[in-house]
Amino acid sequence: MTPEIGLWEQWMARMTVIGPELYAATLETLYMVGLSTLFSFALGLPLAILMILTHPRGIRPNPKVYNAIDVVVNLLRSFPFIILLIMLFPLTRLIIGTTIGSTATIFPLTIAAAPFAARIIEGCFLEVDPGVIEAARSFGANDFELVTRVLISEALPAVILNVAVLAITLIGYSAMAGTISGGGLGDLAIKYGYHRFQADVMFYSVVILLVMVQTIQSVCGYVYKRLR
Amino acid sequence: MIKVSGLDKFYGDHHVLSSIDMRIIKGEVFGIVGHSGAGKSTLLRCLNGLEKYQQGSVRVMGKEVKDLGPAALLELRRHMGMIFQKFNLMSRKNVYDNIAFPLQVWKTPSREIAARVDELLEMVGLQDKKFSRVNSLSGGQMQRVGIARALALRPEILLCDEATSALDPKTTTSILELLESINQRLRITMVVVTHQMEVVKRICHRMLLLDGGVSQVMGPTEDLFLSPPENLKRFIDEEYTLLPGINIRLTFPRHISQDSVITRMARELEIEFSIVGGKLERYIDDVLGFLIINIRPENLDAVLKYLEDHQLFWEVLDGSGATLRQNERAPGAVNLEISAASAAESRRIQ
Repeated sequence: MTPEIGLWEQWMARMTVIGPELYAATLETLYMVGLSTLFSFALGLPLAILMILTHPRGIRPNPKVYNAIDVVVNLLRSFPFIILLIMLFPLTRLIIGTTIGSTATIFPLTIAAAPFAARIIEGCFLEVDPGVIEAARSFGANDFELVTRVLISEALPAVILNVAVLAITLIGYSAMAGTISGGGLGDLAIKYGYHRFQADVMFYSVVILLVMVQTIQSVCGYVYKRLR
Repeated sequence: MIKVSGLDKFYGDHHVLSSIDMRIIKGEVFGIVGHSGAGKSTLLRCLNGLEKYQQGSVRVMGKEVKDLGPAALLELRRHMGMIFQKFNLMSRKNVYDNIAFPLQVWKTPSREIAARVDELLEMVGLQDKKFSRVNSLSGGQMQRVGIARALALRPEILLCDEATSALDPKTTTSILELLESINQRLRITMVVVTHQMEVVKRICHRMLLLDGGVSQVMGPTEDLFLSPPENLKRFIDEEYTLLPGINIRLTFPRHISQDSVITRMARELEIEFSIVGGKLERYIDDVLGFLIINIRPENLDAVLKYLEDHQLFWEVLDGSGATLRQNERAPGAVNLEISAASAAESRRIQ
């Protein structure tokens, strides 16, 4: 006769087994998403500034430069992420030293998300009233001041809101990268939840991802409202 | 102050401005009038180098604008303030930061900025809104912030691009009064681009009528409105839809309109007519009115005779508003004569 165990004890026992795994995978996901968001934003912002400067309606219109960036951005964005990840393996190995694990995933994540970041930041800049920029030009602001003190300043709330879109997209990408053994919650959910039929692991992974997405969206939404 | 000669500008094949000549004298308010798309805003932007031009010359304060290097161009703009139809304020910043921005761009010490902003707020009457969000202001208040910002660097020239077109009539008047007092107090030269006739008449000393990028008429505002040349008259009358039949445009100074000459005419001649449109307007110093009436062709001779007898200036208009016939005396002469007579009369009464 087996001793009676309460549901709570059962759950606790299960958690001592999968808890540390979930915890480690959550940290990995935060690490991958956090750094790749940062890096892709850092790459995307200058690209977006270059695009808005050279845009046909920009401060220094230059169709050649604009079209070149435009094509590259579209090209990189049209790759399915999984394909890009595999194609970038040699480059990843060269730069990171390995193609396995969460650190190695940050590189392809950044490459995949930077053009996306550039495009959405460009969109925010395009929303800035050209009249405000013209006004700043009318009293003698130079191009640097136009970008830093008018364009970025006026677009900031929209940019923050779009950082949420960027980070959430990267959460999705990072889960996909897990299938090529990138680590993180997506990796965990596939390995245990799917291949080993441990539905609870998959369930908890998805719940944690959901909480992350919700938190990012709420925080950015709040900052947006405060800044606007 | 500003001298434009033989100015040509193209957008691709489109000839936006063709051989514009104008001179703007220091301290005056100069109006550039025309329909939207006439090229007036483009002409204004050629003055401070926001637009490039292909041919001709634009000399501002002795300098040829297209020959200026980047630094010299910024320096020129420092001396030329500009205000806009949609105010173009930074929506996220408060009133203070918006007005302080040009001063910060030109590296003014922050203590001087604070003093200068207070001074400007007093000038435009917005002391109590110093830290308000720009979004919370009314249109008139936003334009006041725009004016304060444009004047922050103590420019010699103020460019106004349809500055009152987005405002209601009452606010328009208050902004025009503000601009007028700034012109008088600071002796600042103003270039006012507008499609609103009342703006030109209210504040502009001289004006240029622009149509399709071509200069139509230029001269002192009062003279032009007292005896408008054909193309200016068409511009003024365009707001009225002429009725079929015969349209007559009557011009008279105020004392005649008060005599209700038109209604008496209808009674005495026993005819009927419709009123197409009209206006009594204030020019800088004078009040002058016009009325467009529509009559039946068979009454034309009687009406014209009646108008002649009462010394009114009349014109018969065609469907597009152009003059077909008019009485012999030049309108200016008639008006001046009547004004002189009425002045004499009013002296007698006193």
